[in-house]
Amino acid sequence: MANAVELRGIRKTYDSFVAVDDLSFSIRQGGVYGLLGPNGAGKTSSIRMMIGITMPDAGEVWLFGEKFHRQQLHRIGYLPEERGLYKRMKTLDHLVFLGRLHALSEHEARKRSLAWCERLQLSEWTHKKVEELSKGMQQKVQFIAALLHDPDLILMDEPFAGLDPANAVMLKDVLLEMKKAGKTILFSTHRMDQVERLCDAICLIDHGRAVLEGDLTKIKARYGKNHVQMQYEGDPALEGSDLVESFNNYGNYVEVRLKPGADPQELLRLASNRARISRFELLEPSLEEIFIAVVGKNA
Amino acid sequence: MHNVWILVQREYLERVRSKSFMIFTLLMPALMAGSVIIPAKLAEMKSGGARRIVIVAGNPEIAIAVEQQLLETESTPGATSQADQQATESYAVAISTTPTEAERNDLLQQVTDGKIDGFLWLTDEAVAQHKVTYLTRDAADFRGNRELRSAVTAALAKHRLAEKGMSGPEVEALLTPITLDAVHIEKGKEGVSGAAVFATAVAMVMLLYLVVLIYGVAVMRSVIEEKSSRIMEVLLSSVTAKELLAGKILGVGAVGLTQILIWIIFAVAFAVSGMMAAKSFVSEIHIPTAGVIFFGVFFVLGYFLYSAMYAAIGSMVTTDQEAQQMQWPAMVPIILAVFLMNPVIQQPNSQLAFWLSIIPFFAPLLMLVRVLVEEPPVWQLALCLGLMLATIYGLLSLASRIYRVGILMYGKRPTLPELRRWLRYTG
Repeated sequence: MANAVELRGIRKTYDSFVAVDDLSFSIRQGGVYGLLGPNGAGKTSSIRMMIGITMPDAGEVWLFGEKFHRQQLHRIGYLPEERGLYKRMKTLDHLVFLGRLHALSEHEARKRSLAWCERLQLSEWTHKKVEELSKGMQQKVQFIAALLHDPDLILMDEPFAGLDPANAVMLKDVLLEMKKAGKTILFSTHRMDQVERLCDAICLIDHGRAVLEGDLTKIKARYGKNHVQMQYEGDPALEGSDLVESFNNYGNYVEVRLKPGADPQELLRLASNRARISRFELLEPSLEEIFIAVVGKNA
Repeated sequence: MHNVWILVQREYLERVRSKSFMIFTLLMPALMAGSVIIPAKLAEMKSGGARRIVIVAGNPEIAIAVEQQLLETESTPGATSQADQQATESYAVAISTTPTEAERNDLLQQVTDGKIDGFLWLTDEAVAQHKVTYLTRDAADFRGNRELRSAVTAALAKHRLAEKGMSGPEVEALLTPITLDAVHIEKGKEGVSGAAVFATAVAMVMLLYLVVLIYGVAVMRSVIEEKSSRIMEVLLSSVTAKELLAGKILGVGAVGLTQILIWIIFAVAFAVSGMMAAKSFVSEIHIPTAGVIFFGVFFVLGYFLYSAMYAAIGSMVTTDQEAQQMQWPAMVPIILAVFLMNPVIQQPNSQLAFWLSIIPFFAPLLMLVRVLVEEPPVWQLALCLGLMLATIYGLLSLASRIYRVGILMYGKRPTLPELRRWLRYTG
């Protein structure tokens, strides 16, 4: 099966600023992909090039096994980071309008909008103006707009930013359902902890370049379990130990990163000499830590 | 193309259904009708209260002559020009033949108390020196003063001529002013009078100015709204910037045309209903068919030209306030065109009028003026329309390049060198 998305060495510069620099990765169909990196890394610029909002200065975008053409947009649902609605339009009219722009007939767009509104408890609000809706309800309308045309590829730029907790859970559930139905989902976010548990594969980008790419489980395995969380009373005496790469002490709780090759059992012995240990846990590194490690190494 | 159609539909329906459209559509004819009817009514009301003046003259014959002249002006409206006719006032005149200091003080007191409106100091010396004083509280009432002056001048002239032995009818014949009625020639035939042509032309050009400006600004505000509400990027995931721009300009323009159409229907109904048969000079306003057609043509062209600029401006800024500072490139030419209307309407055939009216930024207003007051040669019309179309094409392609980049930019508005780079971006 062809990849849902394939970026081949795309590059975008604005004046002298290089937003995306020779970026290549591919996303296979079905599954959740994370495009991760700090603010200004080039995530939004990359997504914009995937859907033809801007054109790459160099390189190619392939979608569903074909070079990008605008007809493919009807198979893509996009929830931009900067999202908004026409405030004075009625909710249902608005959804129908956006559905029609994605090649749905007016009748079909109306039918699906009503079904979605029913499902997300917006039925009573379909004839209200958007500006009369609460912020949370407007967020729901925005999801519906991105999913109305039943896209095969769903691009979400910072989807959880500014979401209230209830809507965040709802969005996650809807997306997992989409995943089960074989859709491809791309998350882009700088909050790596938020999507870590959702993603099957990731691409970490920094300064417009991919610094790490692949299946999440493989990446994590490569970095091993070199993290320890420890709850204690007393003084674990980590200072100056040659087992410890770095640590973050909260007083009676500490997070420790071990030096490569260090044995966690030795750390436990060392710490228990001077302190009572109530919890000791070995962890995989978080994506954020992996990112910092990779970027630090490159720099 | 299908996308453009959907965008046009949304733009059009949302606007036409809005309350502000309804209000503006109804208010405008009401305002125009009001500006015609209310002054006429006011003039009528004014004539109810006569101006109470006292004529103080050493020579009673002069006093009587002035009184007669004042009362005559009032009773023979046809004699003066149409504009003066509206302003004619009626008078309640009393005569005093004792030009003494005591009388003067007494009359001053009466004016102060509001018992009379004023008094004419027509002593023999004043008459000899050709310097008459009118003492009143509203000395700034120029129209009233002009009327008094002409009445006194006429009365004194009659009096003197009568003294020289001329008979009453001879004096009348001598003093009757000539009226000059300029008649507009249309297609070699006599048309309506010059005053009516002038009034119609000014009204239509100002209306065109208003609608081009209003709908141009509407395009700009709508672009800003899409930027500030951040819906732009949602839209761009299914349509191109070009489609978006085309949909906006066509949609808003269609709203403008609808409004104009409604107004034309109003105007026809207004004319037919006979309200215009009122005695005021407006009854002579006639709207030539060619004028209406060209009004439509110049609205469409002028709107495209200015809305392209407004769309570009809207895409460059983030807030309405910024737009206020940035909209001068679009405001200056159209306002200039309004100022230049005067020389063109006075000499529509002059070199100056020709050159001004073929400049695309002025053409919507100035060529329309020429079409309304004369018949410009066909080649000039063709040249003007050709130049406009070329300019519109150029401006639209420029605007769409700016728009394409601008709509994704937030924050600081671009400097001129930055703008030049925007034009070169590949997309």
